[in-house]
Amino acid sequence: MTHQTHAYHMVNPSPWPLTGALSALLMTSGLTMWFHFNSNILLTLGLMTNSLTMYQWWRDVVRESTFQGHHTIIVQTGLRYGMILFIMSEVFFFAGFFWAFYHSSLAPTPSLGGYWPPAGINPLNPMEVPLLNTLVLLASGVSITWTHHSLMEGNRKHSLQALLITIFLGIYFTLLQASEYLEAPFTISDSIYGSTFFVATGFHGLHVMIGTTFLTICLLRQLKFHFTSKHHFGFEAAAWYWHFVDVVWLFLYISIYWWGS
Amino acid sequence: MYYKFSGFTQKLAGTWASDAYIPQGLKPVVSTEAPPIIFATPTKLASDSTAYDYAGKNKVPELQKFFQKSDGVPIHLKRGLPDQMLYRTTMALTVGGTIYCLIALYMASQPKNK
Repeated sequence: MTHQTHAYHMVNPSPWPLTGALSALLMTSGLTMWFHFNSNILLTLGLMTNSLTMYQWWRDVVRESTFQGHHTIIVQTGLRYGMILFIMSEVFFFAGFFWAFYHSSLAPTPSLGGYWPPAGINPLNPMEVPLLNTLVLLASGVSITWTHHSLMEGNRKHSLQALLITIFLGIYFTLLQASEYLEAPFTISDSIYGSTFFVATGFHGLHVMIGTTFLTICLLRQLKFHFTSKHHFGFEAAAWYWHFVDVVWLFLYISIYWWGS
Repeated sequence: MYYKFSGFTQKLAGTWASDAYIPQGLKPVVSTEAPPIIFATPTKLASDSTAYDYAGKNKVPELQKFFQKSDGVPIHLKRGLPDQMLYRTTMALTVGGTIYCLIALYMASQPKNK
């Protein structure tokens, strides 16, 4: 019986990269069909196959690590590099939207009235719900740090409690932001102000939802005893992502909500 | 010389033979009879003797044994039937969707005849 004599992980052949790539094709062409031909069957298929791929791919990663023990230190190091690089790519993604905002707001065009916020725009008061949102995310940063320390100390009860608090704060942020969106006196089509505001905060909100989902998966895994006090990279990756989401909000708050009002 | 462990100083201390002979001294001995088992009250199992019991017991060791069976089955099908069903559904939707997509894109790229 042959077995490997190195500490790397040679993955079993898997269909998920193919289904993932094809689901991306279905999602993008689905958007086209929806925008231009009033048909959303392709988009629905794309979203379904994307979700199925993500579920099965990450389920397999859990099987390979927790159940088969393939995640040696060297494999974990690779995963750490991967997550850091991914988060960096997301930083650049948001940098684009901040660039657009500053480009338009530092030199407002005559059609906007030559000032920012543009003529006719009543911006949201940064000291009301946006400030609460800031405190909610900062508090969630504290609770996720508590979760990590409890995990490292082997305190199961506290780690579960703290993680639950973090998730609830994430959901609270999303609900608050949703109500702000519904109540806002301006829309996405209200000049470049509306575009930059809703695209930047909208993508941020999407990332909050993704982060909350990631944390919920960590909660389920912790309930099922997957994490040990020394090895819990899945949680660490979720925590890094969550801190990134928090930092993006702080930049949004300072730039768009506060300086931009 | 006899020694006893002093719980106070956490050190061994010298003592007399009488302590070794009757460790509890000449006071009445605590009964060593087991108390009668009362089946009216539910017995506590060792597994849930902790103050909390979140979502059942730890199934990771048995899952580890299960997934480490060397049967040559790739990881995405290792659980058997549920894995196969989900894989087939995903593949069917993906490949079927791709064919539909190619047809739709072909039709969309045809010029509209005025």
